[in-house]
Amino acid sequence: MPAVQETIDRVRKIDVDQYKYGFETTIETDKAPKGLSEDIIRFISEKKNEPDWMLEWRLEAYRRWLTLEEPTWARVDYPKIDFQDIHYYAAPKNQSGPKSLDEVDPELLKVYEKLGIPLKEQEILAGVQKEKAPVDGLSDEDASDNVYKSGRVAVDAVFDSVSVVTTFKEELAKAGVIFCSISEAIREHPELVKKYLGSVVPTSDNFYATLNSAVFTDGSFVFVPKGVRCPMELSTYFRINEKNTGQFERTLIIAEEGAYVSYLEGCTAPQRDENQLHAAVVELVALDDAEIKYSTVQNWYPGDAQGKGGIYNFVTKRGDCRGHRSKISWTQVETGSAITWKYPSCILRGDESQGNFYSIAVSNGYQQVDSGTKMIHLGKNTKSRIISKGIAAGFSQNTYRGQVSAHRKATNARNFTNCDSLLIGDQCGAHTVPYMEAKNATAKFEHEATTSKISEDQKFYVMQRGIPEEEAIALIVNGFVKDVIQELPMEFAVEAQKLIGISLEGSVG
Amino acid sequence: MNAHVPQQLTQAETSLIDAFGERQSLLPGDGEVMVRRDNAVEALKAGLPTKRIESWHYTNLRTLLPAVPGFDPSAAAKAVTPVIEDSTVVSVLNGASTAKFPTLEGVSFARLSDKLTDGSFAPALDLYGADDAIGALNTAFVADGVFVDIADGVELKKPIELQNVQAGGQSHVRLPVRVGKGAKAVIVERQTGEGTALTSSISQLTLDEGAEATWLIVQEQPETASHLAQFKAWIGKDAKLTLFFLNAGGKLVRQEVVVATKGEGADFKLRGVNLLAGDTHTDVTMVLDHAVPHTTSTEVIRNVVTGKARGVFQGRINVHQYAQKTDAKMACNTLLLSDDGEFSTKPELEIFADDVQCGHGATVTEIDHGHLFYLMARGIDEKTARGLLVKAFVAEVIEELEDEQIVETLEGKLDEWFATHG
Repeated sequence: MPAVQETIDRVRKIDVDQYKYGFETTIETDKAPKGLSEDIIRFISEKKNEPDWMLEWRLEAYRRWLTLEEPTWARVDYPKIDFQDIHYYAAPKNQSGPKSLDEVDPELLKVYEKLGIPLKEQEILAGVQKEKAPVDGLSDEDASDNVYKSGRVAVDAVFDSVSVVTTFKEELAKAGVIFCSISEAIREHPELVKKYLGSVVPTSDNFYATLNSAVFTDGSFVFVPKGVRCPMELSTYFRINEKNTGQFERTLIIAEEGAYVSYLEGCTAPQRDENQLHAAVVELVALDDAEIKYSTVQNWYPGDAQGKGGIYNFVTKRGDCRGHRSKISWTQVETGSAITWKYPSCILRGDESQGNFYSIAVSNGYQQVDSGTKMIHLGKNTKSRIISKGIAAGFSQNTYRGQVSAHRKATNARNFTNCDSLLIGDQCGAHTVPYMEAKNATAKFEHEATTSKISEDQKFYVMQRGIPEEEAIALIVNGFVKDVIQELPMEFAVEAQKLIGISLEGSVG
Repeated sequence: MNAHVPQQLTQAETSLIDAFGERQSLLPGDGEVMVRRDNAVEALKAGLPTKRIESWHYTNLRTLLPAVPGFDPSAAAKAVTPVIEDSTVVSVLNGASTAKFPTLEGVSFARLSDKLTDGSFAPALDLYGADDAIGALNTAFVADGVFVDIADGVELKKPIELQNVQAGGQSHVRLPVRVGKGAKAVIVERQTGEGTALTSSISQLTLDEGAEATWLIVQEQPETASHLAQFKAWIGKDAKLTLFFLNAGGKLVRQEVVVATKGEGADFKLRGVNLLAGDTHTDVTMVLDHAVPHTTSTEVIRNVVTGKARGVFQGRINVHQYAQKTDAKMACNTLLLSDDGEFSTKPELEIFADDVQCGHGATVTEIDHGHLFYLMARGIDEKTARGLLVKAFVAEVIEELEDEQIVETLEGKLDEWFATHG
């Protein structure tokens, strides 16, 4: 009866809400009461031992936020968010800044182990394969697959509202690189934070960025000094664990003249019936000749097959190519979240600066994605490239929204945009909304977009070679997104490819 | 029309609202027509659209139209010679249709004011969406226009030219046309005039099963006129529509194209040229609905921007859930020839069906230096060479219209424009 068993297994697997990271962990937490007020902000600031100027900054943002209205222009539809029904601060208890990994709550370590995130420096250093200790809900194979097999990655792990551990700090410090949680940076490097925080995404930028400025609890801080090439990949893992909490993290990355850094970001959350809010702000600053590569694999809980639950992901990400010949690349693989509202952008201020945006957005079930980028050309001879691949299945709506603009003085601005959408099934939608604005004659903009389904010919060709339909589709889809996958760091590329496979499971038939 | 009620109405808004109060009793139609006019004025009271309204993102009507000229009964517009020789000409002068119509077999003409008076036109005054500001303005004030009905099976040998000529002041006109089953027609919509004017003009075209129409919009308003226009079409089963527009004038121009395919096998072809000069603002906004399966469309827009002109093209293709096998392609190419000029474009695809082939492309660039070099290397001076390349860029679209007489006429119009703006 193996054939029958195989069929049963397959059918069981074909379930939209096959979310791998949906486990919940019981960890004692310290929470702020629900709701938002100046008192809550003071509470957060106090918890973080912040200096007064930071508190003032937050309060100013909060007062501004009260005057703002929630934006409605995106093609996403959701019940009104009750901002008073959220815990704005949740932190694992007995956490008074662990000195070493041994002091970290073992439950927490388990979480990251399940997620396959290497928090233990020595193992990676020695290149030892992770012991195959079976973890609940995950097979051995899955667990070890997720551990990066090659290369060294410094990790900052953010659990609910706080950063629990940052690895490889000392080794990075030897190279002059600062990699720590933003709260630590506010305490230890206030001059840098003061100089750059809010300089790319001002507190008044938009509704969610302003909210974030008022209540952000943690995030990563990276500073790569002049002429330094960061010796390893930096990475942050975000995990929302608590119920009814919002995660508001703030990331600030600065690459000084001639510096280089590659940064990865990953996110997961447990399966819950309720919707949870995630509103992050990421700011990148690249000075003369600097380069920042920022990659994201976003895999928040997308909600179940009926569209219940899932994360509302409202994120403001912006890079400022402040210096001449600077370069910023955004690469994102978006497979999670019930709602994604995210437009990683580049301000091409320096002459000859370059901005890139590579994106794969996969939506299934009742997910709604409204994502894209902005390339604002201000300096002379600036270049940008946008490659966006949207894949919609199930009942999802997948929108690309992007803006490319060249200002009067941005002579020889150059942009190439390509956005392709793939539709799987007749209940989903794929939309493209590009804005192009040219204000000088030497600008050269090209935009192309296509929408289609997987061609029957292609599918037939693959299936004829004995590959089952679902795998055939995965193969074609992987070919479709290859341009973007290639831009990801190698360790991430493997994970991203697998994620796309999982997200599309159940979309056939 | 505007979700955010403005604090203070602009001069234009106030004078439009006041004008309605004064003219209300003079406007034809009561009952259902009046209800629609009243609703339209209510929309105006909320203010003209600003860039906060997504479909008006690049044309902030509130700031671009700060004041409007009053109604000027003394303005004397004269009919003009048709663009295509031997056309049957029907004119609307200063917002009033001619009372005497030409006799043409199989074609009946009527004054729109009669259809408004008897109320039969009321349903056709409905707005197409919440942000239909041109529809609202026109519905409030429309007094006349020409109604054309081409009977089933009639194949017209000569084009019909519908002229809307305005010499200063304000006018609000409608041009509804029906092309019957299997009928064939070429219709020219001519928008021209002189002096400081505000015109709103809405064309409504219905193509019955198997009908074929070529509709040419030739807009040559003076650089002192604001022109707000709409072209709406419903394409029936196996019917074919070719729409061509030439925008070569006007201070503030918004041409909306709202097309829906209503029957399987419907085909829509849009070709357009925007020739922009001076300190002007021209916006072409298209909304195309593929509402049924097996329909096709192609759109090609070419823009030339000189001086301080600002150009906009917004094109949205909606493919409804049941509109499987839709084939839709859109391209918008712009030559930006001046550093003071601007061009913004937003080609949108909104797709709810999976078995479709849809694509769009958009480019903004200056003249290709390689091409220029090629010509100049052959002894052609730079000015002439540039002229040749620009002309070739737009002529390419016109040539697709195939009909020799039409192509020649439109190329003549191009030459006229290049002679004054080259």
